[in-house]
Amino acid sequence: MDILNPAFWVFVGVVAGIYGLLALALYVQFSMAGLPNFGHVAFMALAAYTMALLVIRADVALVWAGVAGIAAAVALGLLLGIPSVRLRANYLAIATVAGSEMIRYLSTNLNLTGGAVGSVGMLGPTHFATYTNAWQPFIESITAALRHAVGSVATTDFSMFCLVWVTLGLLLMLFRRLERSPWGRVMKAIREDEEAAASLGKHVEAYKLQALVLGGIVGGLAGILWALEIGVFSPDDFQPTLTFYAYLILILGGMNRVWAIPVGAVLFGVLYSGTRFLSFFPLSLVDTGERAYLRLLIVGLVLVLLMAVRPQGMFGKREELLLEK
Amino acid sequence: MTEHALLVDGIVRRFGGVRAVDGASFTVQDGSITGLIGPNGAGKTTVFNIISGFLRADGGAVTFRGRRLDGFPPHRIAQAGLVRTFQAPRILTRMSVLENLMLGGVKQPGERFALACLLGSASRREREVREEAMAVLDLLRLTHLAPAYAGTLSGGQRKLLELGRALMAAPRLLLLDEPLAGVAPALADQLLDHVGTLRKHRGMTILIIEHDMEAVMSICDWVVAMDQGRVIASGTPRQIQTNERVIASYLGTVAAAHV
Repeated sequence: MDILNPAFWVFVGVVAGIYGLLALALYVQFSMAGLPNFGHVAFMALAAYTMALLVIRADVALVWAGVAGIAAAVALGLLLGIPSVRLRANYLAIATVAGSEMIRYLSTNLNLTGGAVGSVGMLGPTHFATYTNAWQPFIESITAALRHAVGSVATTDFSMFCLVWVTLGLLLMLFRRLERSPWGRVMKAIREDEEAAASLGKHVEAYKLQALVLGGIVGGLAGILWALEIGVFSPDDFQPTLTFYAYLILILGGMNRVWAIPVGAVLFGVLYSGTRFLSFFPLSLVDTGERAYLRLLIVGLVLVLLMAVRPQGMFGKREELLLEK
Repeated sequence: MTEHALLVDGIVRRFGGVRAVDGASFTVQDGSITGLIGPNGAGKTTVFNIISGFLRADGGAVTFRGRRLDGFPPHRIAQAGLVRTFQAPRILTRMSVLENLMLGGVKQPGERFALACLLGSASRREREVREEAMAVLDLLRLTHLAPAYAGTLSGGQRKLLELGRALMAAPRLLLLDEPLAGVAPALADQLLDHVGTLRKHRGMTILIIEHDMEAVMSICDWVVAMDQGRVIASGTPRQIQTNERVIASYLGTVAAAHV
């Protein structure tokens, strides 16, 4: 595959959009409410698994299975969050890491979830299980409609690209509005100093729970879109690193800026996927397998350099970094 | 009983083996400025934290306008009209001065999620809150700093801002924890003026912890003195100044110089 192949970049765009959604879910919890969730990927995983299981094993319609998936993600957020919202943020960080790893290990080791094979093994080794039967005709019909409008560029991935980015765009608009509202002001105050907020009559725990629920909804949505995009998934598709990619997107774009999320997502997508094509000299001296590792090293290096030059990210405000809490 | 805005009755708080507050009882008259004094470690701030719900008492009762408030969470106590400031001002550094004040505004329907989705920042109440905040800024002579990050303010300005934010929360009883500590003399006078004005023009009741004796004696009409977790005396500033137990425990050095 070469670097100019549009199909590849459409796929990169889809992935960037889904990571953007995950970053937005994290944004609600971390940037708005100050809740450090280090197991955010669990929302994606749980939603994807719940949806696939319901479709494959219980024959539930895809739409309802998707809704149930999101509900499961919300339930997980509350389960991890309720004991920790009264405690300091550090406890939530620990609980979320542990929770997300539990989900990954459970899904790897249970027969119900298809074990390490993932979704295709949900009916046991003799059946090839799939949850996208209802999804294919839907996305095909979108593709057909888009083909009328934009011509042959419209592929299934392109439809997905539009779907993901329209969803992300609408959600960004909603959260921008929320952020500027009195509700957003209370959230920000809780992030800065929850005791100050409480001393002014704000019900801190209720707001934190709202952030957990919202983060669960958006994170679950990201998981469902990801599962539908890749068609089959296994526990390996929900590595803990995904959570940190979401943090990276927030940091790259600029902390505490909602519009920094799509920019951070695109930047990350390009940096992460674009470096697949680094095959020129002197990198061409090492073989492909080693280059794959070298690539991650280079991504890391570029990120460190970016942070050194622009610690506030693309859109962040430098003053905010300098003000202590 | 209505002349008592606040009734603190025998509150106890232990930290491990230490009784930080050991059966403290006092009342705050409606419409008064009451001072709470005592040497460091007397338990004044612990009493404040209990009244405002940030700490649970191990015993005793706090009654505000005839209503038991002990055991309530801080936000409920603030909503009941009992608003506090902190010894080290807890301003929100990465929010603007104006936002800090607007946060304090009461009865903001836009703080509910569903309405925030619909309205964003466009609502009548939001405009009112903004106007209230601008009026408070005007009162505190901080108008020029409205858009600045609160974190850029000086220590004294932070105290002013915190006072203003507490005012936005429509207190009936204002609890001020060392409002003058670390404030330059000129600003301290301004702060004291504000406190006096609040009582006079808004009919607010004020309970104030302060180490600046001169300020306490000039502004308060009632003083409660604590030592080792107990109330050792209460009375008018003049009575307190001449009370032997108070002099022995706290005013010792000051009294030797002035009385």
